[in-house]
Amino acid sequence: MRRVAVTGVGIIAATGVGREAFWSALTEGRSGISRIEVFDTSNLKTNIAGVCRDFRPEAFFDEREMSRLDRVSQMAIAATEMATREAGLTNGQLDSYDVGVILGTGFGGQASIEEFCGAFFSNGKGRRSAIAIPKSMYNASSSNIAIRFKSRGPNITVSTACSSGANAIGQAFHLIRYGHAERMIAGGADAPITPVVMEAWKEMRVLSTKNDPPERACKPFSANRDGFVLAEGAGIVVLEDLELALERGARVYAELLGYGSTADAAHITFPDPEGEAYAILRALKDAGVAAREIDYINAHGTATKLNDASETEAIKRVFGNRAYEIPINSIKSMLGHSMGAAGAIEFIATVLAIENKLIPPTINYEETDPQCDLDYVTEGARAAGGSTPLRTALSNSFGFGGNNAVLVVREYAE
Amino acid sequence: MTTEAVESIEDAVKNIIVAELRVERNQLGPTTHLMKDLGADSLDALNIALRLEEAFKIKIPDDAIPRFLTVGDIVKGVNEHMAAQ
Repeated sequence: MRRVAVTGVGIIAATGVGREAFWSALTEGRSGISRIEVFDTSNLKTNIAGVCRDFRPEAFFDEREMSRLDRVSQMAIAATEMATREAGLTNGQLDSYDVGVILGTGFGGQASIEEFCGAFFSNGKGRRSAIAIPKSMYNASSSNIAIRFKSRGPNITVSTACSSGANAIGQAFHLIRYGHAERMIAGGADAPITPVVMEAWKEMRVLSTKNDPPERACKPFSANRDGFVLAEGAGIVVLEDLELALERGARVYAELLGYGSTADAAHITFPDPEGEAYAILRALKDAGVAAREIDYINAHGTATKLNDASETEAIKRVFGNRAYEIPINSIKSMLGHSMGAAGAIEFIATVLAIENKLIPPTINYEETDPQCDLDYVTEGARAAGGSTPLRTALSNSFGFGGNNAVLVVREYAE
Repeated sequence: MTTEAVESIEDAVKNIIVAELRVERNQLGPTTHLMKDLGADSLDALNIALRLEEAFKIKIPDDAIPRFLTVGDIVKGVNEHMAAQ
């Protein structure tokens, strides 16, 4: 059984592009939520989202390339470029049948199919395209990454709603651990801030309507939370067989130790703490780590009434009284919920927390909720030390459909 | 068809190629080949065919698309389809 190292990270998020911008915003407790300006929101109750304003596709692609890629693929490729560059990998080192891609997405190339639908439903008005399918298909991003970097190994797209990114990283981890690949590009990407998706979420009444000010809308674990804030983004990690990474002198950010995946098998949207708790337990078992060794939990923490209460309950079922001693944060309070990208971006934040020995805060926490009574790090970033050694951490992701994925990551030590 | 009309078709065809392939207009001569000279692929050819159908209100059959690959052939093909319809 091989050990698996994280050797590069690439992030595009509402709070910034690239590791440094992303991390400084998180630790300063700065929100990336802003007003939607790219389409008319006057019919919506929610007019805010986690738009990646600092992402400039033209820094990565020429005009022709851009026209062939949906925004989701643009973000996935750009994040891969950052992650592989950070890992010190050249295109030659990615051009192999032993290097694969597993990517999570909840919506795929949503904007491209909506554009086509616009033309379709308006009786020929609007703009049709001969490439709506290759732009919008769910596997477009993972395939485009392979094409760009010539990675010829397993290429798989995972779609498990909000846990897609975490499941993608977990699956890629197992491929390396059990010898099916040497190096994997893994993570998630989503670009769902579109008129149709916003309308559809509106009808489900799960989006926050606290539009003013946008930065304060998302309030995970706070009694006055009123739903999540939709976001876009991409998070990509380079995972490698630890021995090979060390041989080539790569910088090891952290070691990915365990992955647990379960289905609630209960309700299509209503979360079940039982399924979530089992995902945590399976991840711990997979990692060979005892519950008492977990120093920090990066929560799914969407800021819906149901998720935050259910997640809190799941954590208590696994950790018992110790649940009250573990710092837990939700960076969705700053980033919003980037769907299939969220689990990957949050895994990266967990890795960076371990590396920097610093836990970003859960911002916008205002009112205690008796159902959510754990330590959510609400008073600014918290440095490790004392009872918080911050060596080993969990990243939780729970998706609609009852799809749960949990990753265990540890500071690298020989 | 008048020379003027042919010229405007050629103009419109070039506009579509420039917009779809992001190439410079002065790259386009009568024998310029979309794939060999401009780096287009079959998906680009399909998009250009779609734009031509919309612009000239014509239907380009599947088997005609392989003949729509040089600027000159496209102009000629559009003319033929317009005349037939």
